[in-house]
Amino acid sequence: MTSAISVTELTKKFGDFTAVDKVSFEVEVGEIFGFLGPNGAGKTTTTRMLTGISSPTEGRAEIMGHEIHSFAAKERMGVVTDLSNVYNDLSAWDNLIFTAKLYGLNRRKREEKAAELLELFGLYEVRKNNVREFSGGMKRRLTIAMALVNDADVLFLDEPTTALDVQSVKMIRNLIRQLNESGTTIFLTTHNMAEANELCSRIAIISQGRIGAIGTPEELKSAMDKMHYLEVVFDHTPEDFISDLRQLSSVREVEQHGDKYRLFTLTPSDTLLELFDIVQAKGVKPHTVNTLAPSLEDVFIELTGQDIVHRGEFQKQKHGRKRGGGR
Amino acid sequence: MSDDINLLSRVKKEATRAWAIGWKDIKVYYLSPPTLMFGIMFPFALFFTFTVGRDLSITEMLPILFSQTVFWAASTVGPVVIPLERRTKTFDRYLSAPMSLCSVILGKSLAGVVFGVLVSAVPLIVGWLFFPFQIVDIVLFSLGIFLSCVAFAAMGIMFASVPTESVGNIMMPMNFVRIPLLFISGIFIPIESLPPLGQVVSLFSPLTHTLILIRCGFGISTYPIPPPVSVCALLLSGLVFLLVSRQFHEINKRRE
Repeated sequence: MTSAISVTELTKKFGDFTAVDKVSFEVEVGEIFGFLGPNGAGKTTTTRMLTGISSPTEGRAEIMGHEIHSFAAKERMGVVTDLSNVYNDLSAWDNLIFTAKLYGLNRRKREEKAAELLELFGLYEVRKNNVREFSGGMKRRLTIAMALVNDADVLFLDEPTTALDVQSVKMIRNLIRQLNESGTTIFLTTHNMAEANELCSRIAIISQGRIGAIGTPEELKSAMDKMHYLEVVFDHTPEDFISDLRQLSSVREVEQHGDKYRLFTLTPSDTLLELFDIVQAKGVKPHTVNTLAPSLEDVFIELTGQDIVHRGEFQKQKHGRKRGGGR
Repeated sequence: MSDDINLLSRVKKEATRAWAIGWKDIKVYYLSPPTLMFGIMFPFALFFTFTVGRDLSITEMLPILFSQTVFWAASTVGPVVIPLERRTKTFDRYLSAPMSLCSVILGKSLAGVVFGVLVSAVPLIVGWLFFPFQIVDIVLFSLGIFLSCVAFAAMGIMFASVPTESVGNIMMPMNFVRIPLLFISGIFIPIESLPPLGQVVSLFSPLTHTLILIRCGFGISTYPIPPPVSVCALLLSGLVFLLVSRQFHEINKRRE
């Protein structure tokens, strides 16, 4: 399949500090690709390089087969930065018309497009108002509308729903789905796990400038096998009961959290069977038993909160190759 | 042939996009009341500061007023706009749009050029209404105004290319250069009165050539520099400022 975005060993250094370290990935046409990471992980720096705002120190990237700084690549992309970068002293209409001029749309086309987008984003009635009078949500909607003016093949969205009310968030998420259904490839930068889980067909997790993992949300969750666990509360616990639990062949680790016991396992069903045997043998009654799979948030914390060596090994597992230059 | 058409089409696209930026800047920033007030009042204030009490005829004073007007009007607003747009991240829009850095810089300079030309009409009207003066060489006068606007707008944009979001960080070094230019360019002290070294240095100031061309326009030729040299000097200054500006922006893109 054709790559909408192709990134090879992309690196950004600020003096001695490496903000993005040899990042490589491919985004296929028609995907919603999530780019997840904590603050300062290198998400925005990567996005800025991909959108031509900043030049990479090393490496290369292509948009729809065109080098990122080329005319052809820029004509095919739309960009929503993490800030609502609208012109406060212009009206909503003028903001859209100006953006359309930057993308070379003729007069008729830009007026049609501006009217269509203002209608779509519920801003048509206030199109003549100065943007300075708009609320944060309205400015965000206008920013997204401005990114759609050139019917981009690839849309970069950097934290598009941050600091918005619930209705605006819902509206923007629906719009992202609609755009994707109509063929637009979406590159979504976010630190909102629920949003990535809900929208993205694949996710890359970045931390300290390196990609920790790439996969579908379900792949990422299931890859974290050791994070499946049974959480059990017993009516009472005999002495050394925790040692007995650790003896269960399917259990990798046992943790006690207050009156709860967490039994980490690769095979929750086997653990359940073994658990029933031991409770009968020890005369203990389980009050509650919950089987829990890792959430995307667990995966995220696991990958970004641990040493880079772990992430390197994880990526090696996922891609069958080791990244160069570990730290 | 196909390459020529592609090149022409590209130049046309770049030019329309540069003009879009220029026109937007004029509408948003240059035609705002405070900017207009500054563009009109400030050169007059400086003019009166340095001419009142001096024994100068109106024909000698008006070239100083015109030179100051184009100098301040064309070079001041660009350095305010770019840091402001960096702060609001609207400058990123140009960098991600399908246009070259050169067109962005040209667009930004274009607004300064148009503003400089428009504001220079004010002393023209004042001079025409209140003083009996005559423009002897309209071509040299117009070239003096226009090319100076280009050079000084480009100078402002060059200083604005310093990577900062604070206007003060640009204005301070810029005024450190602009104010001394007033003293070595024949605005307050006639070039002929400068020491020999000062006279040589004055030739490197674009403002000297502005004054020479405008004086030629008024039929005053007091300094032995042929007008074509001044035309070339202003063109070259503008080009150098634009190229340096482009280079600064390239460095910024690598650093940001």
